[in-house]
Amino acid sequence: MQIGLFIPCYIDQFYPKVGIATMELLEKLGLDVYYPSEQTCCGQPLANSGAEDEAIKTYNNFVRIFSKFDYIVSPSGSCVYHVRENYNILPQTDEVRKVRQNTFELCEFIVDILKTDDLKIDFPHKVGVHQSCHGLRGLKLATPSELIVEHYSKVHRLLKKAKGIEIINLDREDECCGFGGTFSIFQPDISVKMGKDRLDDHRRNGAEVITATDMSCLMHLEGIARRQNREVRFLHIAEILNSNRL
Amino acid sequence: MTNHAHRAARFLKNEERAAWHDKTLWMVRKKRDLMALDVPDWEELREQASQIKRHSLSKLDDYLVQFEEHAINNGAQVHWASTAGKLNEIVYQIIKENNASRIVKSKSMLTEECGLNPFLEKRGIEIIDTDLGERIIQLKREPPSHIVMPAIHIKKEEISELFHRELNSEEGNTDPTYLAATARLHLRQKFIEAEVAITGVNFAVAENGAVVVCTNEGNADMGVHAAPIQIHCMGIEKVIPRLSDLAVFTRLLARSATGQPITTYTSHYLNPKPGGQMHIIIVDNGRSELIGKEDYRDSLKCIRCGACMNTCPVYRRSGGHSYHYVIPGPIGSILAPHSNSKEYEDLPFASSLCGSCSDVCPVKIDIHGQLYRWRQDLSQQGARSPIKKGIMKVSGKILASDKMYDWSGKVARWCIKYLPRVLIYNRLNTWGRERELPEVPRESFKEWYNKNFREGDKNGQK
Amino acid sequence: MRETKMDRNKILLNIQRSRIKPVNLPEPFCSAEKEGDKTILFKEMLMQTGGDCIEVNSTEELNSLLDNNFRGATDLRRNELFKNFLSYSNKDSLERLKTVILEGQFGVAENGSIWIDDSNFPNRLISFICEELVVCLDSKQIVSNMHEAYLRIDNAISGFGVFISGPSKTSDIEQHLVYGAHGAKKLVVIISHQSILE
Repeated sequence: MQIGLFIPCYIDQFYPKVGIATMELLEKLGLDVYYPSEQTCCGQPLANSGAEDEAIKTYNNFVRIFSKFDYIVSPSGSCVYHVRENYNILPQTDEVRKVRQNTFELCEFIVDILKTDDLKIDFPHKVGVHQSCHGLRGLKLATPSELIVEHYSKVHRLLKKAKGIEIINLDREDECCGFGGTFSIFQPDISVKMGKDRLDDHRRNGAEVITATDMSCLMHLEGIARRQNREVRFLHIAEILNSNRL
Repeated sequence: MTNHAHRAARFLKNEERAAWHDKTLWMVRKKRDLMALDVPDWEELREQASQIKRHSLSKLDDYLVQFEEHAINNGAQVHWASTAGKLNEIVYQIIKENNASRIVKSKSMLTEECGLNPFLEKRGIEIIDTDLGERIIQLKREPPSHIVMPAIHIKKEEISELFHRELNSEEGNTDPTYLAATARLHLRQKFIEAEVAITGVNFAVAENGAVVVCTNEGNADMGVHAAPIQIHCMGIEKVIPRLSDLAVFTRLLARSATGQPITTYTSHYLNPKPGGQMHIIIVDNGRSELIGKEDYRDSLKCIRCGACMNTCPVYRRSGGHSYHYVIPGPIGSILAPHSNSKEYEDLPFASSLCGSCSDVCPVKIDIHGQLYRWRQDLSQQGARSPIKKGIMKVSGKILASDKMYDWSGKVARWCIKYLPRVLIYNRLNTWGRERELPEVPRESFKEWYNKNFREGDKNGQK
Repeated sequence: MRETKMDRNKILLNIQRSRIKPVNLPEPFCSAEKEGDKTILFKEMLMQTGGDCIEVNSTEELNSLLDNNFRGATDLRRNELFKNFLSYSNKDSLERLKTVILEGQFGVAENGSIWIDDSNFPNRLISFICEELVVCLDSKQIVSNMHEAYLRIDNAISGFGVFISGPSKTSDIEQHLVYGAHGAKKLVVIISHQSILE
């Protein structure tokens, strides 16, 4: 099984430690991980702004670069969602179909493909889990609070076995943080208000660390937190999962 | 910044009011959750409702004809209006032919959409909105900010002031029970004297020609049964095939809208009262065209419950008026561009695409999917400013080339790291107004990777 | 009569032009029944909607209750008063109605509502314009949910029928719940555990 590692553009540029943690974790789990360095981006920023047509070349590059792998794994729910859902506008060749079906977010890959949930994590902290929307509702990583179905959460499943961890309960367990891509720039007031409300929720309930499957959400929340001098740490889920004895 | 963004910024300036608005609507969403949890097959019910609506839309002409036939047999008069203007004309004609001057109306988003009130008022006809919330905004001369709770943005102090001014209520008495009682008294006379009662239509049953109206206040019934002439205005998409289908929709509607098991009154009107007249006006106003748009047709399934608004984190923090369209929130944002793509091009972008709206929609409209679609269609139709167009084109080129991408990233990081703060955090930097930019790492992931692994070693060359 | 035939044709033609692929009409929905005694469930839901509920075990008990607690009420169950009530009474006299007693056809347990139609009142305005509405219901006439309810109605609606669930209400003033918006301020349902139909 050969894994192609897809590192989203903003993680590549600003949070390489998340990429490093992801790669290390997958290798600890005994996998053959490759990082094709000609990769750039999944094209989501363009598509969400309405410029799907400008993103097609980027889509095609993605498919070309990653089609040789059995699985493509990425520490980003929104990018994976974008590939799986919105690459439907490409002509559906075998290559395209293969890539779309085999691109996974890190947590769902571990739970659904590797079929394991005990990563021997050591993490004695109070953790608030921010449920990034694309991963939650798009990739069905967990049950959204508004759906009347049996409850499950792949992220919580991986976290709760961590030694010493306390996962806090939030007042609004899955409200959007307000990042939304270019929404954060073109609707800055609402975007920041949503982010502040999320941070307040985590603070009220005692979070020492806030984690998520999407670094974009955390980048936005951290940006607000640092400006307000809030005392809370931000770690991508990959970093917590990689704090282990494997 | 776009229209919605500007208005939203204004809304947020009143922090206390905005926080109250957000908290209150969130509570309505939680009430909905509790109700839904109580229905053993809630998700199946949603699927059923969706399919019934999809089916109805696929045979809408047949069902409308069937509905009309039964309605006429029952003793109602059926009229057709292809445009908003035609609806207004028909209502006006009915009023004039019957020499009526005292008109009451219960909630109808359709008549709001068509501008019925201003049309009649211009012709010297007074029309009284009888829902308490609608009456409040009518007196205040404001548009509704929510389709179910139109006065949600107004505090009781303001209502007290308004009622004192317009209805002679006690000055300074802000007790909601007193204020509601004042409205009850004031409107009671209007009902008794009413000559024409206008209502909206929640559902129109093809099988038997029944018009179904759901209210909590009872004002639709007060008007309809007191006034000799009743007029029901419906969009073409309101028709459903069978009486039994009503079970599905009545189980979903109030639970989704307000967290009640059912509205206080679910009234089925089939024929006029002895000596009275019953009119049904079937309105198109762009809906038949929307049926032809495969990407957006499903928005016609909407039963106007407002659940999408209650769950939307953006709506809760921006208020209905920020959407500057008769119907606000997520559903409004996918209906408005169809009505006028230039005026409402900002609305599909007034969303973080979180997807919660689609999950609470009782008829399973893929609202966030349609928002995404509209973004593409509007951009192609030229909604993009030349600047934005340029930026997208350049970005597209950069992201498609790994060398350009690497270089751009390097430049961006260098700028953030080394340029003086005052240059970076200026008015142009919208992100930086209330957020810090991310800290710049020593090297990008790619740089780290290429440094630590030999070229061709692990980069996918098998 | 307005000439809206042109509009009618225009609209129908426009719809036909869209040529949508046919979508099947789903079979009538078979709903899972909630566990529990229907009367108890009905009572619970009725109270939740702000209605009052009294249970009686016999016609004597019912009559005694009506005599004592609802003295002076206008009894419009199928009786002489119903038959003689002018079907289109002067609205001002209707406005003066305080307490009205009607017979309900059946109740719905899942939402505490009661179905009544033209056969239950001499005038359609009565159930809304009175101050207090009292509905007599046979406990054996309570169905589980709306699916059963509409099956029961089975298209035999007179010209007007309504499900009434609790007293009239509004939350339009800052979400404060107030009873008696325009319709009856109070709803009382008397459930008879013995058949009340003669």
